[in-house]
Amino acid sequence: MSTETTVKGSLGVPMKRKEDPRFIQGKGNYVDDLSFPGMLYMCIVRSPYPHAEITNIDVSEALKVPGVKAVITGKDLEAAGLGWLPTFHGKDKQMVLAIGKVLFQYQEVAAVFAETRGAAADGAELVQVDYNPLPVVTDPFTAKKDEVLLRPDREAKTNQIYHWEVGDKDGAEKALATSEKRIKQRMWFPRCHPAPLEPCGCVAFFDTMGRLQFHVTSQAPHVYRTALSLVTGIPEDKIHVISPDIGGGFGNKVPVYPGYVCAIVGALKIGRPVKWIETRTENLTSTGFARDYHMDVEIGATADGRVTALKVSTAADHGAFDAAADPTKYPAGMFGVVTGSYTFPVAFAEVDAFFTNKAPGGVAYRCSFRVTEASFAIERGMDILADELGMDPVELRRRNFVKKEQFPFPSALGFTYDSGDYHKTLDVALEKIGYQALLKEQAEKRARGELMGIGISTFNEVVGAGPSKHFDILGLKMFDSAEIRIHPTGSGIVRTGAKSQGQGHETTWAQIVAEELGLDPQNIMVEEGDTDTAPYGLGTYASRSTPVAGAALAMAARRVRERGRKIAAHLLEVGEGDVEWTDYKFQVKGVPSKSVTMKEVAFAAYTNPGQNEPGLEATHYYDPPNMTFPNGAYIAVVDVDRESGEVKVRRFLAVDDCGTIINPMIVEGQVHGGLTEGFAIAFMQEIQYDKDGNNQNTNFTDYLVPTSLESPHWETASTVTPSPHHPIGAKGVGESPNVGSPAAFVNAVVDALSPLGVRHIEMPVTRDKVWRAIRDAEAKKGQS
Amino acid sequence: MNLQYSGEEVITADKATVWAFINDPEKVGRCLPDVIDVTVHDPTHFDAVAQVGVGPVRGKFKFKFELMPNAAGDRMDMKITGGGFGSAIDLTAGADVVDAGPATTKLNWSGQAVARGPVAAVGGRVLDAQAQKLITQTFANVRERLSAPAG
Repeated sequence: MSTETTVKGSLGVPMKRKEDPRFIQGKGNYVDDLSFPGMLYMCIVRSPYPHAEITNIDVSEALKVPGVKAVITGKDLEAAGLGWLPTFHGKDKQMVLAIGKVLFQYQEVAAVFAETRGAAADGAELVQVDYNPLPVVTDPFTAKKDEVLLRPDREAKTNQIYHWEVGDKDGAEKALATSEKRIKQRMWFPRCHPAPLEPCGCVAFFDTMGRLQFHVTSQAPHVYRTALSLVTGIPEDKIHVISPDIGGGFGNKVPVYPGYVCAIVGALKIGRPVKWIETRTENLTSTGFARDYHMDVEIGATADGRVTALKVSTAADHGAFDAAADPTKYPAGMFGVVTGSYTFPVAFAEVDAFFTNKAPGGVAYRCSFRVTEASFAIERGMDILADELGMDPVELRRRNFVKKEQFPFPSALGFTYDSGDYHKTLDVALEKIGYQALLKEQAEKRARGELMGIGISTFNEVVGAGPSKHFDILGLKMFDSAEIRIHPTGSGIVRTGAKSQGQGHETTWAQIVAEELGLDPQNIMVEEGDTDTAPYGLGTYASRSTPVAGAALAMAARRVRERGRKIAAHLLEVGEGDVEWTDYKFQVKGVPSKSVTMKEVAFAAYTNPGQNEPGLEATHYYDPPNMTFPNGAYIAVVDVDRESGEVKVRRFLAVDDCGTIINPMIVEGQVHGGLTEGFAIAFMQEIQYDKDGNNQNTNFTDYLVPTSLESPHWETASTVTPSPHHPIGAKGVGESPNVGSPAAFVNAVVDALSPLGVRHIEMPVTRDKVWRAIRDAEAKKGQS
Repeated sequence: MNLQYSGEEVITADKATVWAFINDPEKVGRCLPDVIDVTVHDPTHFDAVAQVGVGPVRGKFKFKFELMPNAAGDRMDMKITGGGFGSAIDLTAGADVVDAGPATTKLNWSGQAVARGPVAAVGGRVLDAQAQKLITQTFANVRERLSAPAG
């Protein structure tokens, strides 16, 4: 038998993305592309007040607008038992439409349904809402005082949502007190927003069978189905969630938003399909924001630069509802990874979270839950410690890295790091960037009074939530799933519980299956996002696709292989125990000339299965034994204009260790995208509120998204230490650049300004902030 | 976004005429720049619809007015709430009516505006100048109407 139909070595190949032809030809299928007969449009009336009592809502004028079919308010929903929906953190709930009062500006107050978008907007404009303004709280420190109680609906009469802690508080404080060197720095990771180019939206209708057909831009379609069933009482089998192509998610499309519930209610009430597509402003002002962590970072060390203790105390601003979408047992997500890549003998972290009159959220924006905040805290802190010690930050990091022989490494805050070679990754980065030459150049420039900075970030992450004994959302364990069906001619279809939003699953999933089965990845079709066909999964966010769904795929493929082995034994006329899978084919042990390919086995599975069960397919639900821990060494080189404060990122090198690489081209693309977002966060983006609670960044004129003109040139490289517990050794990469880069950028700017005595600067590092830092530092020097 | 303004209008009319004018909701409402419609509910309450443009936010804004004259007849306070295009504007304004000689009355006015919503964000960069223009123009219109020749 021939082996020429075998395709070898699909893993690690820079295969062009199978999904790209339709995207680059404008043939993607997004929610707003959908149209159904009789479809209505929904527009949401939102509150201009951040905190106010609603004294009256008059919808009569809106109903007179030609084309307006209905208007619903919070009272209508409350009467139907749909006034509130559970947040994905599960311990709080969120108003669907405001009941009694509003808690943040742009909160949903009423929904208008009309024949056209224009009529819906006209109707919304005429809904008369009378408000009685209430005192506004816009920061967690004011909220902590409890002078204004924001959520009287809750049993606990306080603005504090939770206190969470991990580690040895007494031990950390004692070690800090006795350390030869000690630094303490307040850092604020500002509120930012994932700002996917496609905003949130849906089309809802009930089909002729009375089944809810719900097309939605969701990163977690199955969780939506379950959540919608719980909220609406519609049996889960009567709900069909379809998530078509998604124009970016980045964590923003994980929560279930009030607009979705309103659209479903409208479809049910009126009996026609309802489409709701957010405006840009609605997306930026009311859907899941990210970060907003005020962190006090303390690090102790010996005089020769060995870290002795870490303590981080955080005040978290969660906005009006606790909609952070974190796993149930982890209200502060994976913030415990704040010990980073270093061997702290003792550590302690605590987070106190508060309600404020700001939009709810705290989603994992291109990072595992709260990992970006943690990474920034430790990587900034290590640079400040190096400054305190008068030590090269590179040397300080090297001296405290977890060594490769220490893996699996138990961190001081309870994680078991799976694998890594932090020294090697840093060495690769230093060599590629030419660190010694840069130091020389910097010294020469400093002698001339020029400001040049080199910023290092040797971060690690914890991703791939997660082991079911620890991780759940709304009680749903965070496993993921894959189903593989191999057709008679050796092609196949793959479905997973994950959902691509640009990650390239149609390509990488095909490569994993092709590698495991010796088939052609071009003939492995990938389908996701349809809850009627895909196996149940928790979705794609927090870097969990490859670590969990990717693992499920490899395991499902191996099940296909086991079934195939039986058919191969039948074809080769030997016992099953005499057949081995080697060199991408089944062969009789020790007899390479007697072999069959998977393609041949697939044909036989439908034409000549012998005594075996016909067909060739398998499903696997993968419960990861541990998280994965991608890591990297990033170096930024900046020049700062002393007169204007302008920062030019001259070079940026990212060396990532994401374990086994499935498709290096996609990895590189992911790193480029994530670095661009990290650059934006570091230098451009912040969702600001004025003291009256007005959101100041409601559009792309005020919330900046970098284009190719602003973005630096990215240099990339990789090292590989496979994850020992993942079936193919992959760790995930999509979020590493967003996690690791902000600290590198800020460290570089502070390094540039350090000759002036500047020790820290808050993000976003805008030109005026840098200019003021320079002026203040020079004035201070002038006085001394 | 809090905005504060003050100014003075010298009107060539006696104090009683001025006081009567500013106690007339229809007349006060018509002094709003670009006013489209005034609906009087009672002697101290009226609604006004005006064309407003603040940066890219342009359209009809609806305001509710409450006139609060003092008993002595020398001070008028006003509470104005309203908005449009998802925005809310709350204004409080007050004017001391001062006899300034024969057929001359001074209106010493001050006002405070709080803007919320898109008008405070999108139009924030130009809101201050626009609001100042609006409020200044309103009092200027009061002066102009009162100073105009009879008939």
